[in-house]
Amino acid sequence: MDTMVKLRDLSKTYRRSDGSAVEAVKQINLEIYKGEIFSLLGPNGAGKTTTISMMSGLIAPTGGDAFIGGHSITKEPMAAKRLMGFIPQEVALYPELSARRNLLFFGKMYGMHGSDLNKRVDEVLAFIDLTDRQKDKISTFSGGMKRRVNIGVGLLHRPELLFMDEPTVGIDPQNRRRVLDTVKQLRDEYGMTILYTTHMMEEAQELSDRVGIIDHGELIALGTQGELTQQVREEDQIDFAIDGRGWSSELEARLLQEVPGLTRVAYAPPGHGDDSAGEESLAALTAFAARGRQALPDIIRILNDAGVEVHSVKVREPDLEAVFLALTGRALRD
Amino acid sequence: MRAIIDIALNDLRIFFSQRGNWISLIVLPLAFTAFLGWAMGREFGSTQVRLDVADLDGGPAAAGLINRLAASSDVIILCPHENDADNVCHLDNGETALTTEQGINRVQRGRSDALLVIPAGYGQAVQTGASAQLDYYSLEDPTQPSPILQTVNAVLQKVNSAVVAQQMDMAMLEALVGTDAGSPLADEKTRTAMAASLQEDAQRLLDSQPDLVIFKSTAPMETSSLDQGFGQAIPGMGTLFVMFTVLGGMVTLLRERRQWTLQRLAVAPLRRSQILGGKVLSYFSLGMIQFLVLFGMGAVMGVNLGGAPLALLAVMTAFVLCVTALTFALAPRMKSEQQAGGLSRLLALTLAPLGGAWWPLSITPPFMQTIGHLSPVAWAMDGFQTLIYNGGGLPDVLTEIGVLLAAAGVLFAIGAATFRVGE
Repeated sequence: MDTMVKLRDLSKTYRRSDGSAVEAVKQINLEIYKGEIFSLLGPNGAGKTTTISMMSGLIAPTGGDAFIGGHSITKEPMAAKRLMGFIPQEVALYPELSARRNLLFFGKMYGMHGSDLNKRVDEVLAFIDLTDRQKDKISTFSGGMKRRVNIGVGLLHRPELLFMDEPTVGIDPQNRRRVLDTVKQLRDEYGMTILYTTHMMEEAQELSDRVGIIDHGELIALGTQGELTQQVREEDQIDFAIDGRGWSSELEARLLQEVPGLTRVAYAPPGHGDDSAGEESLAALTAFAARGRQALPDIIRILNDAGVEVHSVKVREPDLEAVFLALTGRALRD
Repeated sequence: MRAIIDIALNDLRIFFSQRGNWISLIVLPLAFTAFLGWAMGREFGSTQVRLDVADLDGGPAAAGLINRLAASSDVIILCPHENDADNVCHLDNGETALTTEQGINRVQRGRSDALLVIPAGYGQAVQTGASAQLDYYSLEDPTQPSPILQTVNAVLQKVNSAVVAQQMDMAMLEALVGTDAGSPLADEKTRTAMAASLQEDAQRLLDSQPDLVIFKSTAPMETSSLDQGFGQAIPGMGTLFVMFTVLGGMVTLLRERRQWTLQRLAVAPLRRSQILGGKVLSYFSLGMIQFLVLFGMGAVMGVNLGGAPLALLAVMTAFVLCVTALTFALAPRMKSEQQAGGLSRLLALTLAPLGGAWWPLSITPPFMQTIGHLSPVAWAMDGFQTLIYNGGGLPDVLTEIGVLLAAAGVLFAIGAATFRVGE
């Protein structure tokens, strides 16, 4: 796969007024491939915005470098910046100007002028579905509409790479859904490479081809969601609601012996398990396996052979929250 | 360069999109300038000074002295003798003569600059060559030379000289023809007539001699009170309001950083110098627009703004550059918009009066004039006054322009070194 972004020992150290140093970002190394959505996931204050700010040339690294399309952000900033669009967490627009005026101005800052610029502004306004409000001042827009213009500015010059720094912060669920759909659309329809920072595990899980988890300025994990859960040896959990009359310790031994990847099972007789399904007369069987969906057919076959009736099955895959918890000992939202 | 212009035009578009900015940029400066120009023109814009004369003698010799004083200077107005329909003497009840008490009271109240008392018996003393004392009252600094007193003394010198000449002539005549019976001088009437004639001749001869020093105004020949008032108010209010507007750019820069539009520019393929250049150009343009509106108003009103418009433009440009540079040198040190707003108002309201924007620096004590030149306003006002009042040209204001540009260079260097967008 072609590399769009490469970070080499990217670091940022701030000096406090008392002379002490704070390492906001510690020697991050990673590559982001063309056409993928890469999420940088971490709690507030983890160093996501500092990292994306260095990658975009907004702040200078104190160590290492970032390469955008092969161009060093420190040595060839103009070439690197031409390839990228930037959508900051804040609504970075002039509230006194109309949506169209904002788009026109920022388009000029990317070297676009005349009829090309006007045509592109029309396209972007249509894409963000604000053509009918284009002449209204930003100050009169709702939060969601401002976010859409904010995204529109980042798309004006058709960048190959888009940095999105927590673009759903502070907006309602409906507009959040719209932003997430837009991100996927940009990758799927326009082949854009997207670096998406978030502290929301659900967003990273939904959007990302790959995820980097950052905490205290360090990249502590990197990979697809599956790779990350494997990395921390988290197992899938398979919950069965069964007729407990055929259950025995021999059956438990057989399951562990014959089902590949099954590491342990737990049996709770009727009335002692999870009654959330309202099936109080049923027993609860919980099985743990590295790949739950692969183990599931074998478990059901063995239970059927033993005459144990399976009423329901639920597979719970470990999520990024679990990965973060395993890596840091803290919940993502702590 | 195109990006710099685009950034500046965008900033100007935002500035002018807010109605309040039109008021602070155009309406308020015009209103203040109009009011102060009118007030200064009437009150102290004129270089004429009022000299009250209390004529307690009332004779022809006293009248002659008053006439000579009136003719001695175009700057001194003798009150109440030269009062006019506009009551230039500021007389309360239209008096045609003043007593000593009235005159002292007027000096104390600032209605007059000085009082000269011609005592009763002055004419007799002049005629007989006896001594007569003329009292002079003033609130002037006794350590400073008084142009009014010098003018009065010059006139009295001539009167005294005529008396001395008459006495010498009479002594010579008496020596030549004697005073015995039969001599023409033996008759008292003839002696008196002869003495009067000799004194008149001596006075005429002395009056025909050119004065060595004459108290004149340094204002242009055709200067009116309108020119005097607005000649101070236009550049004065101009420098004040330009500082309000341009230093206010500190607040805008901090607001742009807060709303992240500045950072958005920083991630665009623009050099830092282009962003800085655009911001500088926008505030420089606002300052120049403000100056040009005020001077334009003066030109429309027919105020004499000197004969060197390009030199005026050069002083304006140097001053606006200096204030713009100050704005960009200070902005990186500001922690909040409130702090920046407070500092910009404080600087404008301190540097403007210190530098002579509200009143001419020349009327302040010498040490204040020295301190005042710590303010760029003082250098700009020096330049404007040289051009407006003294009819100077570009070569006459090169020092002022040079000082302002040098300060601008240093401040721009500081601003460019400390201008940060992302950190």
